[in-house]
Amino acid sequence: MADGQLASRLAGVLRPRINGQALTTLAVLVIVGFLVLLPLVFLVEESLNVGDPMAFPPVEFGIANYISIFSEDFKTVWNTLVIAVMATVMAIVIGFVLAWILTRTNVPGREKLERLMELPYYMTPLVGALAWAVIAGPKSGFINQIWKAMGGTSDIADIYTHFGIAWVMALFEGTVAFVMISASMKSMDPALEESARVMGASKLRTTLTVTLPLVMPGVLGAMLFVFAEMLGSFAAALVLGIPGRIYVITTAIWDSTLAYPPDYGRASAMGLALFVVMFGMLTFYRRVINRGSFATITGKAFRPRPMDMGRMAWVLFSICALYIALAVVFPIAALLMTSLQRFATVILGQAQWTLANYELALSLGPVRTALLNSIMLGLGVATVGVVIMALLVWIIYRSKLWGRGAIEYLVMFPQAVPRLVFGLALLWAWLNIPIGIYGTLWLLALAYFTVMLPLGVRTLAGVVLQIDKSLEECARVCGASWGYQMRTVTLPLLKPGILAAWLLIFMACVRELGASAFLQGPHAKVIAPSIVNAFATSGTELTAAMALIQTFTVILALIILFRVARGMTKELQ
Amino acid sequence: MSSTSNVRIEVKDLVIRYGDQTAVNGVSFTVGRGEHVTLLGPSGCGKTTTLRAIAGLEQPSAGSIHVDGVAMYDASKRANVPTEQRGVSMVFQSYAVWPHMTVFDNVAYGLRVRKQSQSEIKANVEKALDLVQMRHLADRGASKLSGGQQQRVALARAIAFSPTVVLFDEPLSNLDAKLRAEMRVELRELQRRLDITSVYVTHDQEEALAISDRVIVMNVGVIEQIGTPEAIYNRPTSRFVADFVGSANLIKGRVTGPDTFTTDGGTILKFKSPHAPTGQETEVAVRTAYIDLRGQDGDNQLPGHVRQRMFHGDFVQYIIECAAGRLIVRRPPVNLLEEGAPVTVSFSPEHTVLLQR
Repeated sequence: MADGQLASRLAGVLRPRINGQALTTLAVLVIVGFLVLLPLVFLVEESLNVGDPMAFPPVEFGIANYISIFSEDFKTVWNTLVIAVMATVMAIVIGFVLAWILTRTNVPGREKLERLMELPYYMTPLVGALAWAVIAGPKSGFINQIWKAMGGTSDIADIYTHFGIAWVMALFEGTVAFVMISASMKSMDPALEESARVMGASKLRTTLTVTLPLVMPGVLGAMLFVFAEMLGSFAAALVLGIPGRIYVITTAIWDSTLAYPPDYGRASAMGLALFVVMFGMLTFYRRVINRGSFATITGKAFRPRPMDMGRMAWVLFSICALYIALAVVFPIAALLMTSLQRFATVILGQAQWTLANYELALSLGPVRTALLNSIMLGLGVATVGVVIMALLVWIIYRSKLWGRGAIEYLVMFPQAVPRLVFGLALLWAWLNIPIGIYGTLWLLALAYFTVMLPLGVRTLAGVVLQIDKSLEECARVCGASWGYQMRTVTLPLLKPGILAAWLLIFMACVRELGASAFLQGPHAKVIAPSIVNAFATSGTELTAAMALIQTFTVILALIILFRVARGMTKELQ
Repeated sequence: MSSTSNVRIEVKDLVIRYGDQTAVNGVSFTVGRGEHVTLLGPSGCGKTTTLRAIAGLEQPSAGSIHVDGVAMYDASKRANVPTEQRGVSMVFQSYAVWPHMTVFDNVAYGLRVRKQSQSEIKANVEKALDLVQMRHLADRGASKLSGGQQQRVALARAIAFSPTVVLFDEPLSNLDAKLRAEMRVELRELQRRLDITSVYVTHDQEEALAISDRVIVMNVGVIEQIGTPEAIYNRPTSRFVADFVGSANLIKGRVTGPDTFTTDGGTILKFKSPHAPTGQETEVAVRTAYIDLRGQDGDNQLPGHVRQRMFHGDFVQYIIECAAGRLIVRRPPVNLLEEGAPVTVSFSPEHTVLLQR
């Protein structure tokens, strides 16, 4: 009776859209769920494995792996915390100072500087870490070379330390802090500050009593977010931590799978623990953001009237320039110099210039294949991915389908899983699933697509949400079917967003390290792990050449694409 | 109902729920052929939701919507015609002019969907653009238009494919006051010329009264009153309508005879009502424009004095202190009275409206 009622009500709800749309939702939920959640289930199973680490599936279960995190691996946990805290503090301080300078003061060249702030993000932590290893490594690091040339006897710089790792993380992964804090500064109504000035408060007093309390929730949110990121950070700790035997959780996970026999149980337990902590932090972050403590944030972007800093403006300019120098100019220059020499030296008189490193990098079969594989994966995943993500975005933010909230949650879920842990989970899942894509590029493609879901969907959603819903509704009212409306209205309007998402995904794929580290097979190598490998086994000179080849490949691809895109938009006009 | 009847749109017992919130709660009305009906109410009253349900952009939970006798939505018959097959047209609040197309392409959209020939499309688009005086901008990109121009394009697009029903969702709310007044005149003109049936949604009571044949006043998901603009203004049935449409003084008290009302202060007022009072009524409404200050013969004469005077330009607003309480009175801006001056307030029983709710 009640079942009958429910069934008829359900039929009533579903009937108008029975033309495949309800089935689409179900199919999407199942597929995305399969991609996103299933690997974690396998990871949980393995983390409880206390028997033979090579047994698939495990036969003996227990929580010993979790307990050992706090006994045997306590040092690792401690390292992780110390580095994450240092990196977060540095990232927030840098982000806050830069955000304040660039949104609140009349620093010269403000708009150009603001655009330059994106560059460290495009550098990636891996390239940044390699560069800083060249600049500030012990003994042969450039700083130490100069110091000794000036008469110094011992090293003055060592990047292979807790502080060094945190420093590189803050420089190259902390840029998100700047973005978040300046967003909260920009969205503050300048009238709030102006009224304080009108009441007779000085600039300093206004900043302390009005500006600071108002942006505090934004800063706190950024702090939580950045801290979660730093806990899951891998590249800097891998490059800079291993030589000095400073392990953090991510590198410990990596290390325990390389041991013989590989201790997947221990790696899985650490990965899950890390995931739970990160997930908790990000959930807390979302609560902070959603609690409405941002009374100042109305969604409207204000252009605050900048404060006139007088001569101080040039001091502020130097601060910005110093940041760009530390995060972009010096690293790129150091890598360039290293890659062009037989033995890296900063003392120009001793330099032996050569192109041999580039020749070697490009002639080495594995390097060339890895680079080609990465580019192919980037092209494929970006192209196919963007189409699927656009469809997902439309379902989540535009359709009235039942269950679209669940889809959104699932799609955004990989954001809360550290890349490396996700790679481990996928590895484990596809060792167990009897479909033979383990060790092939297909598994990498699948992994890339899954971990890029939040990035792509967020980028596309930003554009979709800007497009007024009535633009689409109007097409329907004019008599257009769903397909016709998509073709004539929705997709043309989405074009710039689709292009942007394609670019971001392509770049992220070519530089992917965390998930690739576990998933590349002997016959399916990709470039980022190969660079790490070269750093560990060959000289810095070759590694620098490879890192720069990767960077310039991405830049080249971007230039070509922008050309094509500009041609396309010209055609439109 | 047959399609030859004079009814173009029939909405019956319409209910629209979002989760556990009810946006529209049992709304019924009809719109005749060639009639211009306005749904009027404050934001959140369900007027836009009702309009969008007619267009098929909202999914009702119960009730029915018929256009020309055809069930567009009928919960009992499980009928639900998709938006694009309903043949109704709509002008959106945000105009929804597609920025990636020219003015011509925007207006031609509905014609292309209907697979008209190139020559027909050209002729119809030009006709529609002529009606809104936008033909000279046909090749302009839509993103380069001003607000008023976009408004005109949206209008031309909505009428270009000769729909029988056009829905208007607050089309003038984004224009400045001056342009709004102009467009109001043009819209009224266009409605008359094209013989279309229209349903118009607005929260602006002045606009509703000005451009409609009939007004439907809505509040919290239900209809408060349906009537001609004159009836809504002169004979509001509820406190909400009296208060929301125009400006009125609401005086509390109780009914003490077939045509007498005693205020809480003990003043006896005469009223005229088409319905016999039930005795449960607690308020009468007197429009601010219908109160005279010169003192005349007849009923409802109250002595008082001017407490405050505000000069508005088109009218002067006085606040008068009298036995019935504080009354707001709006008079033409001539023969100004000083603050403190003694006056005699008078209003006829016709304009003393007994409110049923």
